[in-house]
Amino acid sequence: MAPLKYLEQEYPILDSNFRNFCATHGIFSEQQSTSERLKQGITQVLSIIDGQHQPWLNGMELLEDAQLNKHVLSTGCEGIDLLLQGGLRMGQLTELVGASSSGKTQVCLLATSNVAKKHMDGVVYLDTGNSFSPQRVIDFIRQNPDPAIDQAKHRILQKVMNRILCHSVFDIFTMFDVLHQLEVNLRSQMQKGDCQVRLLIVDSISSLVTPILGGGGSQGHALMTSAGFLLKKLAHEHNLVVLVTNHTVGGEGGISKPALGESWKSIPHVRLRLSHDQGSSIYNVSVLKHPSMASGKAARFTIYD
Amino acid sequence: MEVGRLPISASQRGKLISAGYTTLSSLSSLSPSDLALGAQTAWDMLHEDEMFPRITTSCLDLDNVLGGGINCKEVTEIGGVPGIGKTQLGIQLAVNVQIPVDYGGLGAKAIYIDTEGSFMVERVLQIAEACIEDMTECNGLLRKDFQAGQLKMHPNNILENIFYFRVCSYTEQIALTNYLDKFISEHKDVKVVIVDSVTFHFRQDFDDMALRTRLLSGIALKLMKLAKEHGLAVVLLNQVTTKYIEGSFQLTLALGDSWSHSCTNRVILYWNGNERYAYIDKSPSLRSASAPYSVTSKGIRNSASNCKRIRMM
Repeated sequence: MAPLKYLEQEYPILDSNFRNFCATHGIFSEQQSTSERLKQGITQVLSIIDGQHQPWLNGMELLEDAQLNKHVLSTGCEGIDLLLQGGLRMGQLTELVGASSSGKTQVCLLATSNVAKKHMDGVVYLDTGNSFSPQRVIDFIRQNPDPAIDQAKHRILQKVMNRILCHSVFDIFTMFDVLHQLEVNLRSQMQKGDCQVRLLIVDSISSLVTPILGGGGSQGHALMTSAGFLLKKLAHEHNLVVLVTNHTVGGEGGISKPALGESWKSIPHVRLRLSHDQGSSIYNVSVLKHPSMASGKAARFTIYD
Repeated sequence: MEVGRLPISASQRGKLISAGYTTLSSLSSLSPSDLALGAQTAWDMLHEDEMFPRITTSCLDLDNVLGGGINCKEVTEIGGVPGIGKTQLGIQLAVNVQIPVDYGGLGAKAIYIDTEGSFMVERVLQIAEACIEDMTECNGLLRKDFQAGQLKMHPNNILENIFYFRVCSYTEQIALTNYLDKFISEHKDVKVVIVDSVTFHFRQDFDDMALRTRLLSGIALKLMKLAKEHGLAVVLLNQVTTKYIEGSFQLTLALGDSWSHSCTNRVILYWNGNERYAYIDKSPSLRSASAPYSVTSKGIRNSASNCKRIRMM
């Protein structure tokens, strides 16, 4: 309840100019009933500023958020689920790295069919290589016959397939547009029908980034990292599982390494490496990076035709 | 009624107007999926797929492993050693896309982009004549109720419907890829684009490998976009090179690892003894299998050997 001029020593900004300004508006001390409306205005502005960034959370609140909201989604493939202690976690960006034809798109399609059918949630699939195959998704859906589904087959199949939304994106700016539109939709809670989007897949993000990466400018790196941040933000704020695929390039001594370079390495939360023995239906998956598991753990899984 | 007067939010109105819909009548004929500006549900895509027939390769075994033929809306890469028949397959597809709808084809035109100069018009004429012969035969055998001579196609018609481009450097190839969108908007009945071979100009005289990777991935994305937006098939023919993998030299497709991710499907042609075989190396929905085929004076045909079963891998 001090008059303003005594606050000047502690807060140099409250100098005489400021005090004159307050005087013209009838504010003479810290607490004054005539400035109630002004105070409300100032409080409102401060809360708008606070709303621009994520709220401060302490450890307990984060734990609560993780336990209530950030569940695990099964991929539909036992081998991967066992390796990942349940499946893909919401709020995390998971990357699948592998050479050509190592099963990345197959795992994405399998996860899509599983989320749409078992969890009955929406899926948004960003496809850069015209590889989204609705027929293959139907094959996966039909693989685990559910007695409930057999009865009203056609209608239920239509409902499941209508939960999967596929966008074809062929450059990184279109991807940003689609992701921002998705963000707006999720924020204003305009859900399509009765299902909530739970899985976001970008297959593959490396084909969008490779044409702009390098070449002397830093714009490519900037776009790549901001794409990564946007995906992680969507994952955390809206409790989504985000899955991206990346390809491999040749490295030192002929050993292949993931594409997109060193700056991308730290962006995904979980990195899994896939490989495929040619001629068989057995795939290998190993952990390259995980927030709560040692890297190097490996497993095998099968994808049936 | 003007779109501006509709009782919808300002941002939605702005989007409709910027997309060109200014009156209600222009909106009435659209389906919801058109308005979603690029997004489709999987159910709609499934039914759309059924509307796009596949381009036959004239070899039954090969068609079977490909699920009916080369798929529209996808980029298929076909690679193999020299002399295996890549150009022959390219020319066969350019002819087969023109098979009329009555005979199970697409009745469409083709674009052939030649980077090596291996396109021989005499051979195209030969294949075109053989194709017409086969169709007339089929006409005679199956459609006895039709009058003879119903088929009014002449080999010259087939030659007329192949748009041929010759590129002599990588910059020309990039420029042509950029121009194709406009060209195809003007010639809407083109349903296949064949590039023979896509690697040729990028293999020699390229000092800056990083630049090459960027240019190639840019071209790959543009071709993907072309395939999706115009509903056509893009066929890329590729050469092979040797690579030092895990202690030995192996034959792989040219242009490196990052190019191998720029196609939807990949078919590798190889020799097995004296036979030519095709192997599905990469596909989102087909299983890996190989099938024999042969190159005859009539074009690509079934293999004439005794063991005709498709080997499943």
